[in-house]
Amino acid sequence: MPPAYLGEFEQLLLLAILRLGPEAYALEVARELDVRAGRSVSRGALYTSLDRLEDKGLLRWKPAAGTAARSGLPRRLYTVTPAGLTALRASRDTLQRMWRGVEHLLKEPTS
Amino acid sequence: MIDPRLPSAPIVTNEATDPPRLAAWLLRRSLPRTDRGETVIGDLIEEWRSRGTTRGASIHFWRQAVSVAIRYRWRRDPRPAPAVHGERNSGMTLDNLGQDLRYAVRSYVKAPSFALTILFTLALGIGASTAIFSMVNGILLRPLPLPDPDTLIYANEVNATGRERVISIAWPNYLDWRARAQSFSALALTREEPVTLTGVDRAQRLRARRVTGNFFTAVGVAPAIGRNFTDEDDKPNATPVVLVSAGYWQTQMAGDPSALGRVLKLDGTGYTVVGVMPAGFEYLRPYDVFLSMGPVSGSRNLTDRGNHNGFSALGRLKPGVGIATADAELRTIASALEREYPNSNSAVSVRTDRLADRVVDSVRLTLLVLFAAVGFLLLIACVNVANLLIARGAGRQHELAVRAALGGGRWRLAMQLLVESTLVSACGGTLGVLVAAALLRLLVAMAPDGTPRLADVRLDGAALAFAFAAAAVCGIVFGALPAFQASGAGGQHALVRGRSTGFAARSHRLRRGLIAIETALALMLLTGAGLTMRTLQELTHVDTGIRADHLLTARFMLAGDHWTDPRRAAFFDDLLARTAALPGVSRTALAFSLPIDGSNWNSIFTVADKPVPERAKLPSAAFTPVSAGYFETMGMRLIRGRLFDRTETPDSPKVIVINETLARKLWPGEDAVGKRLKQGWPETPDHATKPGEYFAPWREVVGVVADVKFNGVSNETPMQAYLPLVQEPARSVALVVRSAAAPATLAPSIETIVRDLDKDLPLFQVRTMEEMLDASIARERMSMLIFLVFAIVALALASVGLYGVVAHGVTERTHEIGVRIALGAEGRHVLGLVVRQGLSMAVVGTVIGVAGAFALSRWLQALLFGVTATDPATFAAVVATLLAVATIACCIPAWRATRVDPTMALRAE
Repeated sequence: MPPAYLGEFEQLLLLAILRLGPEAYALEVARELDVRAGRSVSRGALYTSLDRLEDKGLLRWKPAAGTAARSGLPRRLYTVTPAGLTALRASRDTLQRMWRGVEHLLKEPTS
Repeated sequence: MIDPRLPSAPIVTNEATDPPRLAAWLLRRSLPRTDRGETVIGDLIEEWRSRGTTRGASIHFWRQAVSVAIRYRWRRDPRPAPAVHGERNSGMTLDNLGQDLRYAVRSYVKAPSFALTILFTLALGIGASTAIFSMVNGILLRPLPLPDPDTLIYANEVNATGRERVISIAWPNYLDWRARAQSFSALALTREEPVTLTGVDRAQRLRARRVTGNFFTAVGVAPAIGRNFTDEDDKPNATPVVLVSAGYWQTQMAGDPSALGRVLKLDGTGYTVVGVMPAGFEYLRPYDVFLSMGPVSGSRNLTDRGNHNGFSALGRLKPGVGIATADAELRTIASALEREYPNSNSAVSVRTDRLADRVVDSVRLTLLVLFAAVGFLLLIACVNVANLLIARGAGRQHELAVRAALGGGRWRLAMQLLVESTLVSACGGTLGVLVAAALLRLLVAMAPDGTPRLADVRLDGAALAFAFAAAAVCGIVFGALPAFQASGAGGQHALVRGRSTGFAARSHRLRRGLIAIETALALMLLTGAGLTMRTLQELTHVDTGIRADHLLTARFMLAGDHWTDPRRAAFFDDLLARTAALPGVSRTALAFSLPIDGSNWNSIFTVADKPVPERAKLPSAAFTPVSAGYFETMGMRLIRGRLFDRTETPDSPKVIVINETLARKLWPGEDAVGKRLKQGWPETPDHATKPGEYFAPWREVVGVVADVKFNGVSNETPMQAYLPLVQEPARSVALVVRSAAAPATLAPSIETIVRDLDKDLPLFQVRTMEEMLDASIARERMSMLIFLVFAIVALALASVGLYGVVAHGVTERTHEIGVRIALGAEGRHVLGLVVRQGLSMAVVGTVIGVAGAFALSRWLQALLFGVTATDPATFAAVVATLLAVATIACCIPAWRATRVDPTMALRAE
């Protein structure tokens, strides 16, 4: 089975989860995207994308108990599945192949 | 950071303790019911707290909640959505219905006065219309409680000269019909004939019907015990037999089977009981006993083909024979009889109806008009509910717009609104049924005596179905449509501003239109009430020709062969003398027929000094034997000549007193006194030429009295001829007593006198003359009362509706009014402005209503008396009343508008 195709936002999500390690739940994912990628993402888009990645088998989650700050409501702690890693790798390789030889065209002016 | 719990700390006003509840609710509704929802809400709450629970945090919460809700509602996912999400988009699931219902209940509980107003309006409209529907259903629609009632026909003979006038069937004619007609499997003859039961402790008046031997065959019901009547029982000199009702058998004969064979003495004749009818059997109304024809069928009275003795025919059509065929056949037979017996049968024809139709003939129109009126009332109630719901829809517009924006599909929202209005109309329907039950009891109690089939009037399945159909129509059509309009309108505007002026204007226009309709309907009902009130007023002010106050009347019947002419005359004298001796009694008299009550004896007569007209055109008059002193007792006016007095004896010259109408018709411009006339046909002998022969002497007119109303108060006075009771000693007689005291108090003393004179003589129909007058206009009174109540309710609903719309308008225009006042507008200008705008709706409604009332006047006319259905005075009064009430309804909010404080009004913006 060829690796799943990932959209850009999906790649960002999976990368954010990888970066966050064991504490990757939706709110932190959103913060990570905000801080590191400069992406302010609507929660509607966030949750539906997470669900979609889960449906594709690229993510999985385990429940974690809620804290007082969230009125005791549970969290989902996300991890990237091997299939998710494969898909990320494939996406990265695809991009790198496409980047090769065009870097000089995109050089930013120095002055 | 200041600890907000410290009492000295300033209160930070833009902090909240909970995240926005509506947004959280929204999330729960939009998300799958897994921990997905919980985790999302948890994230958002955590974020809200981390953002400091400020207003900004709340706005963020809202925005994110909305985005989640939208995304989960409409996932633009090319792959099929997982099942757990799938249910979200379908509008109609049990789960959704439950939610909607809960939400609906909550929303009504939150606004109880609104819900109560709607419930009250619906209960009133549905209750009134269901009650009237039950009357219509029980009396007009439900099949008669007889086997296969559609093949039962009712026939009468009619006098076909000029306007067809029902005369009853002559016995020999009936025998010919029966012998010749092929359309019927049985053709019976019957008449109502109350009888007196004697030979028991205390004489009793029984409800009785005389029937031919085939009557119960035609009806299709056989006695439960004993034998049916047979054709043998019709024959003269057959043993008189009687069938008793189950009720009579139980109560008067203790349900004793050996009662068969017992002899009942009825009107002096012994009748053998041969059977008991099944329990529950009624022929149109309850009877105690059914009498066989034998005892009367040989009498001279019945065998004379010219005598119509109160009989009508009941026929059972053969299978496959239609009523038109039967009618045509009877008419053919009648024509043949007309040729065969020109002396008695000229211009005598037949009228045939379905039994069910004939029974209710007298009330059909009244009921249908009232049903139409209550339909208007229901419509007004519906319009009022629609109005309230639109007003509410405008208030909820923000909520609806938010929900629509969040992907609450139009269908889904419409479902919610439908559930809400269905809920309220179901409750309204239930309350309406309770109101209907109470109203129906009242209506039945109020119903005039003689209203047919009242026993069939009850709240049944059909009435319940009607109530809930009315409720459903009310709720769905008049509730959901305006609310749906609200749900679809101007969503984005509502989100931006909370209140959209465009939508408000549109809903306001709709409400103004509804108010105009409501006013128009109310005006039509008011017109009906006004016209029926005028009718009643006319009826109560009709000159009856008598002084009805302080008069007591009571009937008795001297039946049986032992009441010979001299004995009857002696009895009359005794009774009059003893009654006159009672304290307080000023005058007393006897009469065969009473005013208002109708004539018991109509007859052809012949005039001595005029050429005899062709037979069909012989004049007919109400012949009324009366005692001396009758005219004085009734307070009638003598116009010419003299009244009867003690000089009249059985052997004195035969005399007669006629009424004005007869004098005018027969001797226009002449003095009627001294003329001679004779009851009966020209060839009727004026003296007995052989024993037992019927004869009628020539009588000389000695006086002319003023007309009295004879058949009710609204019918024209017929030609009337009064005979001295001593010369024409009747058997069925009414006693009339004029007293200084309240006449009803005399009844016991008179009963005692009659019992002393003859213990076997029950008095019946003991009534004051005023009661008779009241009873004669009872139907009109009831129509008037019902119309009046409807009109008052309609007026109240319409004015409350008008008030609501004007008040709402004032609230919405507070700013504008404030500006006007700030710019120097005076109170009266503001008042005028608001009232003018409010009244414009009422005026439009009035114009429509007047047009509608004119259009409908044709149907109302038949219920009216002394006033036309387009009576300008009534219309003017009704319009004035309506506009006056409308003005008051507008003035209250208008007055409030003048009190608008301009500074407050302007600051509000």
